[in-house]
Amino acid sequence: MPLYLCNAAKGAISDEAKPKIAADITRIHCDVTGAPPQFVHAFFVEEDTAPPLDGKSAVLFGSIRANRTDAQKAQIIAEMRQSISTHTGIALDAVGMMTTDVPASWAFEGGEVMPEPGEEAEWLARHNRPSAAE
Amino acid sequence: MISCNCIVQAGQISPETETRLRANLSAFAERAFGEPAEINWRAIPERSGFTAAQPSTSSIISMAANRPVPQPERAALLKEMCELWIRETHRSLDEVVGVISDPQT
Repeated sequence: MPLYLCNAAKGAISDEAKPKIAADITRIHCDVTGAPPQFVHAFFVEEDTAPPLDGKSAVLFGSIRANRTDAQKAQIIAEMRQSISTHTGIALDAVGMMTTDVPASWAFEGGEVMPEPGEEAEWLARHNRPSAAE
Repeated sequence: MISCNCIVQAGQISPETETRLRANLSAFAERAFGEPAEINWRAIPERSGFTAAQPSTSSIISMAANRPVPQPERAALLKEMCELWIRETHRSLDEVVGVISDPQT
């Protein structure tokens, strides 16, 4: 967690573009929230039922830990939509995005309940992983 | 029925293992919430899943509870659900994310 799931029209996002967008998604999420990259999952599907395309060429749905601010969410949405547009050539207004909040206490990763945002250091230490700042 | 979404990386879980996971998750839902699971199995195509910007081996299992779950019980259920997964898949706990959500208010 977070999980960013991108649904797109067939062929709209090439296999070459996916790792670039995934790298941007990871960087943007970590820059905006301070979360470590180890938590960031970015998955791509085509012509799937969810998230619904609703006339868009691509739609990114982010399930993120609760307690992010509206400003953080707005920045995430703006920058990730721009990344998809830049790496695919899809017009910006044909890229949709929304997020949903998931309480950290509902999720389990690395063998334990996820830490609240900002409280990842002990989790990372227990898992012998470097923090995002290192 | 308890809604259960499983997102896996294509090619990493055999059909036989998928069958066992579906049965075990449904049995888990019945024990935990008194109803079997309706499982939505979704395979992310190859070269389309990334964790920490690297090719992903992660699976996400998300189950929607039919009642508010007290946190100590939820933690125990999450552990049981993820351990059930790794027993069948022989993956590590670092490769599975479990979510048990409360009903939407």
